[in-house]
Amino acid sequence: MFNRVGIDVGGTYTDAVYFHHGRIQQTAKVPTQSDNLVETLMNAFDTLKISDEQEINQITVSTTLVTNAVLQNRIPPVKLLLFSGNGMKIDALPWPVSYTELSGEMDFRGREIEAPDEKEWDKLQLQRDNISHAAIVGKFSHRNRLHEEQLAAYLKEHNPSLTLALGHEWGQANFYRRSLTTYLNLGVSDLYHQFAQQLQTAVSARNIQAPIYILKADGGSLPLAKIRPIDSIYSGPAASVLSALTQTSPNASSIIVDIGGTTTDIGLTLSGAPLISSKGAQIGGFSTLVRSLAVRSIPVGGDSVVRTKDQGFVIEEYRLGPACCLGGDRPTPTDAMRYLKLIDYGDEQLAEEGLASLLPPEQRNPQLLHDLAAEIIDRVVDRIAEAVDSLKREWKEEPAYKVWEVLHPHENKEFNTIVSGGGARGITTALGKRLKTTVQLGAFSEVSNALGAALARPAFDCTLHLDTYMKQYRVEETGEQGKWTGSLRPHREVEGFLETLVQQQAANYGIEIQDMEKEPFDFFPIVQNYQTVGQIIRGAVHLRPGVIGRVKE
Amino acid sequence: MKRTGILFFPAFDWSLGDSHPEREERLLYTQEQLFEEGVLDLPQIKQFSPRVATMKDVLRTQALFPSPGAHIESLDPHLISAGSSLLLGEAQVKGEIDNGFVMARPPGHHSGATVWGNRGFCSLNNEAILVNYLRARFGKKRIAIVDTDVHHGDGTQDIFYHDPNVLFISLHQDGRTLYPGSGFVNEKGGPNAWDQTLNIPLPPGTGDEGYHYILENWVLPRLQAFAPEIIINSAGQDNHFTDPLASMNLTARGYGRITELLQPDLAVLEGGYSIEGALPYVNLAILLALAGEDYHHVREPQKLKRTTLTLAALKPYIQDLQKQQQTVKQSFTIQNKPYFPKGNWISIPHSVYYDTEGFQETRHDYVRECSNCAGTVYIESRRYTETSILVRIPFEACPICEQAGYDLWDHLQKPNEGFANGMLQNQLHDKQYLWNRKEGLMEF
Repeated sequence: MFNRVGIDVGGTYTDAVYFHHGRIQQTAKVPTQSDNLVETLMNAFDTLKISDEQEINQITVSTTLVTNAVLQNRIPPVKLLLFSGNGMKIDALPWPVSYTELSGEMDFRGREIEAPDEKEWDKLQLQRDNISHAAIVGKFSHRNRLHEEQLAAYLKEHNPSLTLALGHEWGQANFYRRSLTTYLNLGVSDLYHQFAQQLQTAVSARNIQAPIYILKADGGSLPLAKIRPIDSIYSGPAASVLSALTQTSPNASSIIVDIGGTTTDIGLTLSGAPLISSKGAQIGGFSTLVRSLAVRSIPVGGDSVVRTKDQGFVIEEYRLGPACCLGGDRPTPTDAMRYLKLIDYGDEQLAEEGLASLLPPEQRNPQLLHDLAAEIIDRVVDRIAEAVDSLKREWKEEPAYKVWEVLHPHENKEFNTIVSGGGARGITTALGKRLKTTVQLGAFSEVSNALGAALARPAFDCTLHLDTYMKQYRVEETGEQGKWTGSLRPHREVEGFLETLVQQQAANYGIEIQDMEKEPFDFFPIVQNYQTVGQIIRGAVHLRPGVIGRVKE
Repeated sequence: MKRTGILFFPAFDWSLGDSHPEREERLLYTQEQLFEEGVLDLPQIKQFSPRVATMKDVLRTQALFPSPGAHIESLDPHLISAGSSLLLGEAQVKGEIDNGFVMARPPGHHSGATVWGNRGFCSLNNEAILVNYLRARFGKKRIAIVDTDVHHGDGTQDIFYHDPNVLFISLHQDGRTLYPGSGFVNEKGGPNAWDQTLNIPLPPGTGDEGYHYILENWVLPRLQAFAPEIIINSAGQDNHFTDPLASMNLTARGYGRITELLQPDLAVLEGGYSIEGALPYVNLAILLALAGEDYHHVREPQKLKRTTLTLAALKPYIQDLQKQQQTVKQSFTIQNKPYFPKGNWISIPHSVYYDTEGFQETRHDYVRECSNCAGTVYIESRRYTETSILVRIPFEACPICEQAGYDLWDHLQKPNEGFANGMLQNQLHDKQYLWNRKEGLMEF
């Protein structure tokens, strides 16, 4: 049985869970000292009272560090150089950062349309402007990285200390997102490496030799040294979805609701696998190619202020202190729960007074108070249900590009609901009624992110794009581009080729492959003058995110 | 900026044959281009996923002969393409989007009122099915279709030839030089819908300038006079100078401008087989123009090498064509069969060649002359020795034409008549009936 530690480094608290022989041995919650992460982590380890450090197989960490750095705009400047080519006007999309456009163009097959102009490069003057980081991104560079590499070589020659990032390493289509992702990843890399070092220091100081993994936005984990820093954003919501996975049967489909003070996060798992967002993650003003779980965050929670409006009430998006029943002075959904005796903490009398303040004096009788409290809870539950519907739509209305896909839509699934967080107990009944599912209370909800992280499985994807006519192959996730030496119309050959790529990727990550999911290949015969001259082949293998075990309370 | 819907259905797992122009690869590079540009990240663009049209949706507009069952196996992609048009059309009339682009395979504009199989790569007419759906379900009355595919939209013309409430305009390379060989100025509509079909055959070599001139000086005034509630653009892309099947000289930006001029509520992809040289760029330009974005930076890598007709050379041709078109007078033959209900029945014989499968359909169309409605239509359609009948009671049929439709329908089922099967397309009540002598009557 496994011995694992999961740690969630949040802005305020750092949570940790210690699994010993597959069971939760100890949990910890310590304040995060943002100026002393090493000490924070060591505190967490100490609180876990790990009996034998040598027995630990793995430590997995989720962190809001990168997320917060981006959201709080703490990224050092990066010079963004673009081979933007023709097509849509580049400023049709909103750019949160400035960029410099350069000539040079590729097409969708990776053929050069226009060579770059070195005279433009001479004028860049990065040294004069004290630029230390530059990102170079070309339209269609995921089909041909030539221009990016040419410019990189030129810049390195003139300025050896420059730190460079090239866009083709993000090999999915979308020039706009590729540019911003390359920018962000480079921008947060120093910060991330500093964090990695602190983490390593703390772990070594506590004599732990286990490998350190980082949780990614898609709910998978990868070794500390292998993960691309920007992939670590949004690992919080991912961890909470994983935490719910540890509490359901392996093939269950679940609605996961985490009710906080002012926000509620909602996620979905389908037959044991978390729903991945079809578009990359959005963070601050940046649209990225970062694969992330499809989650909804809605601005309503146990501490949301309830205010009278017109003939009724509204639930505001903000909090003004604790609920009345906990000593605050504004009524909240928590007061409604308390009044209806759905939760047992807080003062019942104070809850009643808070709710009464929402009614005109002549209506403050038990019946109307009861109705009001029930309606507040229904309103919260309605908002959650809307978000659940929107997630289910995202799942069901995935664009389909093949006849087969349209004729075989997703079958309806039987869902259960797992609800955790402060107000969880107070809405289980109402939520079950509204969603028409069974509702289960999440365990260990005070450290659920650390729990999810602890049991996260490694995950990665490998999507092959092969153009046998151009004799080129590319891998979306790693940005690898190489020469194809096989046949023009490969059959079994391409399966073996993709498998080798996957093995190489796994070896690079140092992880073992299990439960590999293969997508059927798409074959596109390339025809010229009514002759088939080659093929474009697309195929993918997924190592899906998930958890390695289950917990029992 | 306009809220623009896009339904991208490239049917990556379907082709009409290994090296057929209508093959898996056709929209592959369009996908690469659109996705790489990030157009789906434009805040005003919303992507929709396809749906399958029902048989009722199809039969409201087209008769599948000898029976729908005979087509079932091959229809799936066509039903998805048609369903995609319905979905986006519906989103438009409901106000979810301002306009939309149905970028779906397979195309449809060569598919007519009667369907025995695939012709010109088309089995079902996506735009026509949509038009009648919007009339039946959303009470739309006046709709215009402007077909800017390089081939004459003969199927669409056929379906609405007798319909005074649908204006059909087709601009195409002259039928004397290109498939399907029709679409001349004298084809102006049936007796009850005279002048609601406008064909503008263009000489090979017409380019952006000439095309835009015709739109501004002929097509747009005609559209304005008709005042449609909805404009649908059959947006074929084979006028592009790189198209392997045709000989016109439009550019991607030229297509952007067409879209900007027409301001269609819905653009529906038709043909276009320069899958690398044109489609990625033309599709992008059309989509950007619909969304109200600048399309002037969309440039196809290839340079125009063919000679383009100058506007000076084209103008006299157009003026002459316009004159010819205006001077064509109605001349119809009345031919009343003994069992026809009272009134004057105009006979229009024609035949349709199905190039994909290589057979001929011989048709005798009759329409009841009527000054109150579109007139009931009676079509005898023969392939080899098989004859099928279509009776169509039009939208907003007058009581006399409605009754005439029922009488014809009753007559053909009489035991002593030689007909084996037929269809009643009752657009007035949105009912479709199939009948065959062996199995009897079936309602949709």
